Amino acid sequence: MTREHLENHIFRILRFLGMAFFILMVAFPFYWMVVSSIKPLEEIFSNPGNLGLDLRGISFDAYREVLFEHGFITYISNSVYVSFITVLFSVTLATLGGYAVTRLRFGGQKLMSTSILLVYMFPAIVLVIPLYVIFSRLGLRDSIHVLILVYLAQTLPVALYMLRTYFQTLPSEMEDAGLIDGCSRFGVILRIVIPLSSPALASVALYTFMIAWNEFLFAFMFLDSPEKFTLTRGLVQLEGSVHLSKQLVMAASVMVTLPILILFLVFERRLVGGLTAGAMKG
Amino acid sequence: MANVRLKRITKKFDQTVAVRNVNLEIFDQEFVVLVGPSGCGKTTTLRMIAGLETISEGEIYINDRLVNQLPPRDRNIAMVFQSYALYPHMKVFDNMAFGLKMRKVPKKEIKKRVQKTAEILGIEDLLERKPKQLSGGQKQRVALGRAIVRDPEVFLFDEPLSNLDAKFRAQMRTEIKKIHDSLKTTVIYVTHDQVEAMTMGDRIVIMKEGLIQQVGRPLVLYNTPVNLFVAGFIGSPAMNLIPCRLFEESSRFHLGMGGFQIPLPDSMAHDLTSAKGKDLIFGIRPEHICEKGADYHHSLDKPAVRAEVNAVEPLGREISLNVNIGENSMTALLSADTEVRPHQNIDLILNLEKAHFFRNVEEGGEAII
Repeated sequence: MTREHLENHIFRILRFLGMAFFILMVAFPFYWMVVSSIKPLEEIFSNPGNLGLDLRGISFDAYREVLFEHGFITYISNSVYVSFITVLFSVTLATLGGYAVTRLRFGGQKLMSTSILLVYMFPAIVLVIPLYVIFSRLGLRDSIHVLILVYLAQTLPVALYMLRTYFQTLPSEMEDAGLIDGCSRFGVILRIVIPLSSPALASVALYTFMIAWNEFLFAFMFLDSPEKFTLTRGLVQLEGSVHLSKQLVMAASVMVTLPILILFLVFERRLVGGLTAGAMKG
Repeated sequence: MANVRLKRITKKFDQTVAVRNVNLEIFDQEFVVLVGPSGCGKTTTLRMIAGLETISEGEIYINDRLVNQLPPRDRNIAMVFQSYALYPHMKVFDNMAFGLKMRKVPKKEIKKRVQKTAEILGIEDLLERKPKQLSGGQKQRVALGRAIVRDPEVFLFDEPLSNLDAKFRAQMRTEIKKIHDSLKTTVIYVTHDQVEAMTMGDRIVIMKEGLIQQVGRPLVLYNTPVNLFVAGFIGSPAMNLIPCRLFEESSRFHLGMGGFQIPLPDSMAHDLTSAKGKDLIFGIRPEHICEKGADYHHSLDKPAVRAEVNAVEPLGREISLNVNIGENSMTALLSADTEVRPHQNIDLILNLEKAHFFRNVEEGGEAII
């Protein structure tokens, strides 16, 4: 066996082991969650260590119960609402802002362009208490819209940064051509920049959606009334209720995870493409 | 159809001045080439005419209409870019139709005009393709078509041929010229390539460091450059520019430069009287140097200079020699049948009637004759 053969062999084995390890780390909890959510309750109690699943015993009662008896229908629609509005604003504002800092010349443009990520110098946990106080005093705290505002503030810097990096790779002569061909600046953004940026826009949308959908800290601190709960907040509520049923919590967890998982699987290729497309010239 | 007038145009980017006080009148139907080394302000000037850059000072008129405040789309111009700048997400047809669509031209009319333009350029069968499926030359044609189809008052070209390979460049040069001849639209063409400028322009504007150096017909620029920069920039191989000194000896003007001297023809004496005794720059084009005896018109009674050959470059039609005359190195273009080898000595005749004299750089480098 030559040295090259040997190296290839070793790398293949190491790669396999590595992948197997990470798949196990990620997939097993997920599997456990799904399986537990569709097993009958007695089965879980009588045989908690059983990893297998009896296909004849599958039951979706837990889902029905979580959705209709524990208010998860509301939580889901709240989460969908919050996430979509956040995505809408984040993508729109990041497109305009990212375009402005890449293409337009104005005072403070350099400073703005470079300080986009400064917001990340303050971890959320540092901000949550002051914001709690501020919004409480203003009487705005227990509101889904304030949550949207916070999420927007959290996601916009990265969204801006991603789009800015992408826009920088678009040749500006193309936009000049658009201006001469009869577009206004806004027309250029609409007809040329946006169609060409769809991979980057998709990844920004997906990123924002994931953040907004998964966010817990602010939702937990800000929301008091159950009819305003988002999914993550509702999940904690459920887990904390007295008659804890593992099955219900698992079903709720699946509901939180699944949309992200599906979105990611569908858009994965685009997301990765969008993230790296800007990186080449960044 | 339109004239374009630039009145005292200046462009500043923060601290740097890209274009200084440029005055230029471009006539209707004219093909004007802005040429100069990179950073000379030619592209900035073009972009100000297009409306893609704001104007720091001065006024621009297109068809006698002040356009300083007009956005590019309202100036009725079309521009062809170096990178072609096609819209990658649109088919060739839509690329060409885009400007017309934006101007709300009826669909039928758009189709007719795109079709007709595509025929002129020979790209009818590319209309359904996307730009990335085209070769460089095809993209160039589409970019050209996108400009032509609009039927603008002025065409602006920003180094449109510099991304093409040499053979295709020459072909496109003639083609653009031909299109201009048939459409008669005013053209402003930016290039850094003096060959392009010489072959295409009705008039050439040479710029350097934001200033116009000289404006004129190609041969005027070639034969009577106003300063050292123009002399060195126009022509290939470039004009020999050599420091010299004029002095009078036995009532004749002599030219002395680095280790040798030759008498000047009496016809030049009058123009050079004021420069006597000064340090000047002597300029002679390579084709105005010939081998003694090769061209009897020039060489009959003229003093020859002895030169040592450094390098020989056969160009086919002629040969280019790099020689040492005295302490100076010069380029000479000789007829192809001249037999010389490096390190050989050769007697050369400088055709001084075609020579130029310039003030030296410290004094501004202007031409004396």
